[in-house]
Amino acid sequence: MLAKIAWRLFWRELRRGELWVIAFALFLAVGSVVSLSGITTGVKSALMQRSAQFSAADSVLRSSQPFDQAIFAQAENLKVQTARQMQFDSMLFAADIMQLVTIKAVDNSYPLRGELLLKRASRIAEGKTVSLNKGDVYLEMRLFDLLKLSVGDQIELGMAKLTVGGVIANEPDAPLSVFGGAPRVLMHIDDVAATQIVQPGSRITYRYLFAGNATNLAKFESAIAPQLSSHQRWQKLDNESAIGSALERAERFLLLAGLLGIILAACAAAVAATRYSQRNTQAVAVIKALGATTQQVRLLYGSHLFLVILFSLVTGVIAGQLAIDAAHWGIKYYLNDYHAEFSWRPLWLGCLTGVICALLFAARPMWRLASTAAIDVLKQPSLSLGFDVVQWVVGAAAIWALMWLFSGELVLSIGLFVICAVFAAVLMVFAAVLVKFVKPVAAGQSSARKLAMANLRRRLWANSFQLITFSLAIFLALSLYFLRSELIEQWQKQIPVGAPNHFLVNITEAQRDTLNSFAKQHQLKLGQYYPVVRGRLTAINNEQVQQEVTKDDRSAQRVGIGRELNLTWLSDLPQNNELTIGHWFAVQAKAEVSVEAEVAQRLAIKLGDTLAFSIGGQELSANVSSIRKVDWNSLQPNFYMILSPDLLANFPATYINAFYLAPEQSVLLNQLVRLLPTVTVISVDSIIAQVNSIIGQVTIALSFILLIIGLAAALVLVAQVQATLEQREQELAILRTLGARYIFLRNALVLEFVFLGAMAGLFATILAEIMLFVLQQRVFNLPFNLHYNLWWIGPMLGVVLVTALGWWQLKRLLRIPSAQLIRRVLQG
Amino acid sequence: MIIAPEIHIKATGLTKSVKVADGSLTILHDISLLINRGESVAIVGASGSGKSTLLSLLAGLDVPSQGEVFLAEYPLHLLSEDERAGVRAAHVGFVFQSFLLLPSLTALENITLPAELAGIKDAKARGLILLQQVGLAERADFFPAQLSGGEQQRVAIARAFITKPDVLFADEPSANLDAATGLKIEDLLFKLNAEQGTTLVLVTHNNDLAARCQRQYKMQAGRFIETDMQGSQHVG
Ligand SMILES: Nc1ncnc2c1ncn2[C@@H]1O[C@H](COP(=O)(O)OP(=O)(O)OP(=O)(O)O)[C@@H](O)[C@H]1O
Ligand SMILES: [Mg+2]
Repeated sequence: MLAKIAWRLFWRELRRGELWVIAFALFLAVGSVVSLSGITTGVKSALMQRSAQFSAADSVLRSSQPFDQAIFAQAENLKVQTARQMQFDSMLFAADIMQLVTIKAVDNSYPLRGELLLKRASRIAEGKTVSLNKGDVYLEMRLFDLLKLSVGDQIELGMAKLTVGGVIANEPDAPLSVFGGAPRVLMHIDDVAATQIVQPGSRITYRYLFAGNATNLAKFESAIAPQLSSHQRWQKLDNESAIGSALERAERFLLLAGLLGIILAACAAAVAATRYSQRNTQAVAVIKALGATTQQVRLLYGSHLFLVILFSLVTGVIAGQLAIDAAHWGIKYYLNDYHAEFSWRPLWLGCLTGVICALLFAARPMWRLASTAAIDVLKQPSLSLGFDVVQWVVGAAAIWALMWLFSGELVLSIGLFVICAVFAAVLMVFAAVLVKFVKPVAAGQSSARKLAMANLRRRLWANSFQLITFSLAIFLALSLYFLRSELIEQWQKQIPVGAPNHFLVNITEAQRDTLNSFAKQHQLKLGQYYPVVRGRLTAINNEQVQQEVTKDDRSAQRVGIGRELNLTWLSDLPQNNELTIGHWFAVQAKAEVSVEAEVAQRLAIKLGDTLAFSIGGQELSANVSSIRKVDWNSLQPNFYMILSPDLLANFPATYINAFYLAPEQSVLLNQLVRLLPTVTVISVDSIIAQVNSIIGQVTIALSFILLIIGLAAALVLVAQVQATLEQREQELAILRTLGARYIFLRNALVLEFVFLGAMAGLFATILAEIMLFVLQQRVFNLPFNLHYNLWWIGPMLGVVLVTALGWWQLKRLLRIPSAQLIRRVLQG
Repeated sequence: MIIAPEIHIKATGLTKSVKVADGSLTILHDISLLINRGESVAIVGASGSGKSTLLSLLAGLDVPSQGEVFLAEYPLHLLSEDERAGVRAAHVGFVFQSFLLLPSLTALENITLPAELAGIKDAKARGLILLQQVGLAERADFFPAQLSGGEQQRVAIARAFITKPDVLFADEPSANLDAATGLKIEDLLFKLNAEQGTTLVLVTHNNDLAARCQRQYKMQAGRFIETDMQGSQHVG
């Protein structure tokens, strides 16, 4: 019997459209969580796959100990592909010239991701493609000039004699850093034993490369976790590289967007749920007066809630998955070899979110609804949103739980939650204060304006909740939009159009004039000449440091601080450097050095310490007079140590310079190489292209997520306006009866929303500015600046959005003939 | 406390106070009454005198601030909300002053609702008969918004009868009706009262209607001012 009533009421409620609002809110919550988390994962995995090409594998285990066969066996068991790689520095002898080189020895499975391109020639552009041969070595192009070698020549490496097989045209996991130290040589791993370079104590990096599907990889990583020693660690994406930091920021941003999506969805659910219980208060009182018990009412409305949840979950999951598929399709368009993987996680995460939202936001009002007393039939049902402390506390806890569940980041979720909670509190106080001063302003206004103000004040007073949700929705959309533009701008700033894409290394003093005239002749814009002297850091305050400096092989490999450093002297601080402590060299500075901040921290170098250097057999020492922060993302020559000019000016130096070369000018390069054969030309075009393509993809992902958030925000506004429909219907009916005209009512309505929108927009702007400040400082490490645009876009957006949405939903009400309206209100 | 079987409703010293912004307001002052089984009683009085409030206490919709109220053997003032709901479902019919039909149910469904809540099997058949009796057979599938005020009121009356209650409380049952329809409705009420022995408690402004009842209570500002002698004898 009860089921029959429940079912009947359910269909009728559906027809009246009330339950759709709740269903839609939940659908939104589920759908946005599914799509956001799915797309976030998708974009992340696309970026990971992209970056896998840069490390030649999906994941890399690095070790200072020889390969452990057990690990390879385990990988094989779990269907994970493997490859081996060894890397070490050694002297390479060609006839009578020798050169320190970085050797990379690989097996035939290398690379697992990306492409290795070897050419049987001494120039990248020439010769036919060959594959890695045992007994051969492949050289970086500049080595052919440095060592006066050609293909087929013999070289000596340790005790082995090997043949020059060709040039390395593309090495997927070459270090991104431009001034990465010694020239690179590739050889087969089976030839390493013959060189006898591998001795106890020699510094060799062993790399295990792995590739496979994400599930197997994750299984594998956790399976071998217990047997890893301190010598072995996973090589993570390096955030010192431009790509690494772009990835990391993108990930944070996507995570953040996900959290904001949840907040909006929760708002929509809460609004709809409160409205739902409000609209049914009288019905419950009647049903109870007719003899139903609280238990029966609970079953009745509980079944409605159940059906709505079921419906929303199913449709939300389907829609979310479709959005994910669309996103995968879009990513594939930009990333040909992207392979999308289906994952259950977004689906159950979405369902869980839906259920939690429904239970914590809808069940509570429903619980209260069911305890409506029968006697309430005699009361005029109150249509204002009642303030329910428990609901707020439970709701807030639910929001936080969802954020945590979704992000898996305790601190970030607490932080963001606290910020939102404080905002909500501040807004409530604001709204209360505003109510006090709107009254005098309204006095003596035209009557439409007076009515608008009166309405507004009454509603504000009754619940500042509406204003809070308006503000919050606009604020989230605003801050997301600005954050997105800011991130993109920051990324693009790193590689401005026309930035140098070719670097010249090893320019001798004598060659400077030739280069200058060459540049002048072809209208190339040369940059600053950076003098370079190779040297070692030997002691800090008389304490030998070589051990320490070379211990961190990541830095050694990455930037070349290991055995030899590129030392420079400069009289001016380079542009992308920033002093953190100390002062820049004075004109008369004597024996001073400026140290890069990270190295300073790693080696515990403090202002005033004395550093000893060994340069070409000569010792010199310098006092640390400043510590510098360096923007490693910029493709500019960067130095760990900059010495005062007096120290190095007398050492024989080579120079570094850079220029921009448009693609169509590439012939010039050959001319230049012929003109200055010993100068090494390093092109960073491919690095720039890689970074740009990642930025492009991330931008698309961000825009898509912004779109979703924008939609969610708009829907919260819609739900919010709909929640006031009944009340407005009643007021309209009364005003119409009292003889108010259409124009008057319309003006009052529009004015009310304009004012509400302006207030919400202004609050949102203030909050967004604060939020951006915090985020830029704490999360993204971006410099802070006031967003002037925000201050007119915010309030404008508020007015336009709120008025348009309000008008769109309420214009129907105004058009209903008075008689019908009055009838509906008084009798229905 | 056991009350005599012939007594259907007994109220002693009913006082109802409500909280208002500045303190509390007493709407009913020390009301006592006795209504026998099968009796028809009218409560009359000026607007705002407390008639609806009294009715809600007698029907167990609400509990008094002070005093006792018995409906048959049930001490309504001692029962919980849900226990009172049980009593209402089994014994009480109620016609509200403002009808209070559920907007999302049709006329017929509104009528059968209490029967379905009480688990009565032939609810629909009963409902159709009642619709016929109140002259709305053609309006069975209309929603309240599509009915006139009088029609809504008739649906509300039919709804009150569907569970064959022992006692029927009607708050202004014919107020919105034209004379002829009003009369028909009143006839229906008294017919049921006569046929089924239903106790009838009416609130009305209509003197003719009040006169058709066996007794009258007059209210003013929350008190009975001049009660029927028979009634006051019982309260002792
Ligand atoms: N919950 C309440 N809060 C405050 N005052 C109330 C409440 N309920 C009733 N009253 C007041 O008690 C008085 C009696 O109300 P009641 O509805 O019983 O009057 P009534 O006799 O039925 O009037 P009418 O003939 O107009 O229906 C009224 O003045 C009303 O304002
Ligand atoms: Mg009344």
